[in-house]
Amino acid sequence: MTAGFTRSWRGWLLPLAVLAAAEAWFLLNPIMSDTLAPPSKILLGAVETMTDGTFLRTTYQTLFAAAAGLLIGMTAGTICGIVIGLLRTADRLSSWSVEMLRPIPSVALIPLSLLTFGYGYRMEYAVVAWATFWPFLILTQHALKQIDVRLIEVSRLMGFGILSRIFKIMLPAAAPRLFTALRLAVGLSLVVSVTVEIAANPQGLGYGLMVAQESLRPDRMFALLVWVGILGWALNYFLVRLEGRLFAHRAPGLSADA
Amino acid sequence: MAAVASAIELKNVSLSFGSNQILTGIDMSVEPGEFVCVIGASGSGKTTLLRMIAGLLTPTSGQVLQHGRPVRAPTRKVAVVFQDYGRALLPWRRAYANVSLPLEASGMPARDRPKRIRELLAKVGLANHENKFPGQLSGGMQQRLQIARSLAQEPDTLLMDEPFGALDAMTRQTLQDEVMRLVAERRTTVFFVTHDIEEALYLGDRVVALDSNPGRIAYDIKVPLPRPRDQLTTREHPEFLRLRREMFEIMNKIHA
Amino acid sequence: MIRSRIIDIVLGVAGLAALLLLWHFVTALELISRVFLPGPAATIAALEWGLVNGDLLPQTIATINRMVQGWLLASLVAIAVGSLIGVSAIARAYIQPTLEFLRPLPASAIIPVAISIFGLNTSMVLGVVVFGAVWPTLLGTIHGFAHVEPRLVEVSRLLQMSRWEFIYKIGLPNAVPDILAGMRLSLTVALILAVVGELLTAQEGLGTAVLHAARSYRAADLYAGIILLGMIGLVSNYGLAIADKRILAWKS
Repeated sequence: MTAGFTRSWRGWLLPLAVLAAAEAWFLLNPIMSDTLAPPSKILLGAVETMTDGTFLRTTYQTLFAAAAGLLIGMTAGTICGIVIGLLRTADRLSSWSVEMLRPIPSVALIPLSLLTFGYGYRMEYAVVAWATFWPFLILTQHALKQIDVRLIEVSRLMGFGILSRIFKIMLPAAAPRLFTALRLAVGLSLVVSVTVEIAANPQGLGYGLMVAQESLRPDRMFALLVWVGILGWALNYFLVRLEGRLFAHRAPGLSADA
Repeated sequence: MAAVASAIELKNVSLSFGSNQILTGIDMSVEPGEFVCVIGASGSGKTTLLRMIAGLLTPTSGQVLQHGRPVRAPTRKVAVVFQDYGRALLPWRRAYANVSLPLEASGMPARDRPKRIRELLAKVGLANHENKFPGQLSGGMQQRLQIARSLAQEPDTLLMDEPFGALDAMTRQTLQDEVMRLVAERRTTVFFVTHDIEEALYLGDRVVALDSNPGRIAYDIKVPLPRPRDQLTTREHPEFLRLRREMFEIMNKIHA
Repeated sequence: MIRSRIIDIVLGVAGLAALLLLWHFVTALELISRVFLPGPAATIAALEWGLVNGDLLPQTIATINRMVQGWLLASLVAIAVGSLIGVSAIARAYIQPTLEFLRPLPASAIIPVAISIFGLNTSMVLGVVVFGAVWPTLLGTIHGFAHVEPRLVEVSRLLQMSRWEFIYKIGLPNAVPDILAGMRLSLTVALILAVVGELLTAQEGLGTAVLHAARSYRAADLYAGIILLGMIGLVSNYGLAIADKRILAWKS
């Protein structure tokens, strides 16, 4: 308890000191800046973005695109991962193709997605789907390969068919690792969608940041930046906690941070 | 006689962690060149005692002296050989470079090191393994390597913490003989912690038995067996057998 | 063993060939408009022409330059700063929570800030690449330093090693596996941010090349650029994997 408190107390000191220093600097040098803003003005900027609707609209747009892309990437990646993880031949057939396709950086597909779908949600979640497909594919495959052989023998002895073997034995056994894949992919989906918005797509938090910058409103820009940071941190925090709660009964190694 | 200070001297030493009393009222001394074995059950604080002598721990009360001077921090004149060789060696350095570490620390010029390192490796029988990483060596060889590293410090005193506890019986006997030979060469003082009565009697000039909870000295007996000792003749010596019986009875009484 | 390896390779190549054939038939039968998906032959022709006659080669080099420069700079900063933070438990207690908060922040989100500070130019792109690529290696270095085997700390005390000696003889080598893992991630991040920077600033590079190709509906050139970006990722990953194996020989 006490240790936790002192730790968190120390953790707060650095950010608070930076904020105080920034505020003091602006008080002593009262110039209008197009690039930076004191914390107090950033706070006002945050209030402004909340009241004029920017905040809610852009957050919704980003999260919707991220979630839609994640859903596609997760479904496709998990299915392919199951097939590759269970069938040795599928693994061998796909290995070279996966090796060649996986290193393509997701942002390289932004122009292609733009050409194919134009501006809007579709181009954004297509890129997110591509980016999140790979962690699901790889981690599902690994998760299935690491299931205890004994469990699979047991399921065979019980005479389960292939489908019930997958759903009753294998997926539950692989669940902790699949959840880790989900947690990593959620973070990735937010990163990619914001990136797509900054680079090309005129919607969402990323675009909001660009607009604030172009209209020389550093207060609004930093307010949105801090919000993006909080969003990413909170999603990760929530999923880590959930992971701990869901798989607390499993061996500690299974839910460990990948 | 009083002119020569003891190699190690403990004066009424106690140690506690919070309300947990680990060692109490320890008084003992080890003369230069003496081989002292300390035995005790796990939890008797024998490892803690060794760490205090090394300067890794400070006693709560009492004094630890080396050659008459109080110990405040570790010095290179005292070398430690740990039981868990796998953790005490630098896994990213080859055998050769692991032995080099103390030479670097003591500031030996780089050009003088190779000869010394090869000498030491040869001494512990690792001459042909200088380019192997610890992970590529067997347990016994890793412990030889740790011994070579400790000898590289040219220590006056060698502190050994159950060094052969994790090794198989054959390797253990070979290493026992090698350690006796190596320390006899330089008349090194040895403080050897073990939980094996036979090992203590075979190696030591003296055996100190610790009682536990809190750790304190229960018995301190001399071992008047002739040197050089031998795995067969020494272990069959009537005096060895007598002392062995006596020690077993003492230890049984302590832990009754 | 060897037989199994050969089967692996044969099937792997066969799978890749099948994928290319599928691509060929999809485009030959015009299942997807050629405006969006050119055939493999057309793509390879565009790649060849671009590399030999066009300016794909200098653009590839420009992107690699940007990526490697940013990555090296980020790695240097990360290892130096990470060592200083990691070696001290007090520094970790004060600084690490802030770092953990900043880590999930999309690196691209600071692009607008970088633009307003540096303007739309090369140093802005480099700055963003460095900022983004610094995190994995920084956190890896701190983690490596924070998890030194306690026994080795004792060994350093027994040998009376100075703090500085401890850092470069025990702390740093101990952190190397974590540092290398971080640097591999960093390189991927560096490539991504280099491309994003090019997309925004129209600096010479593959990002700009693929964007121009898309805007002028030159799909074959677009795919050629994407293939080159994939190759950069593939080769750099592979190179680092080999380096890893050599440097971490003691781990096996």
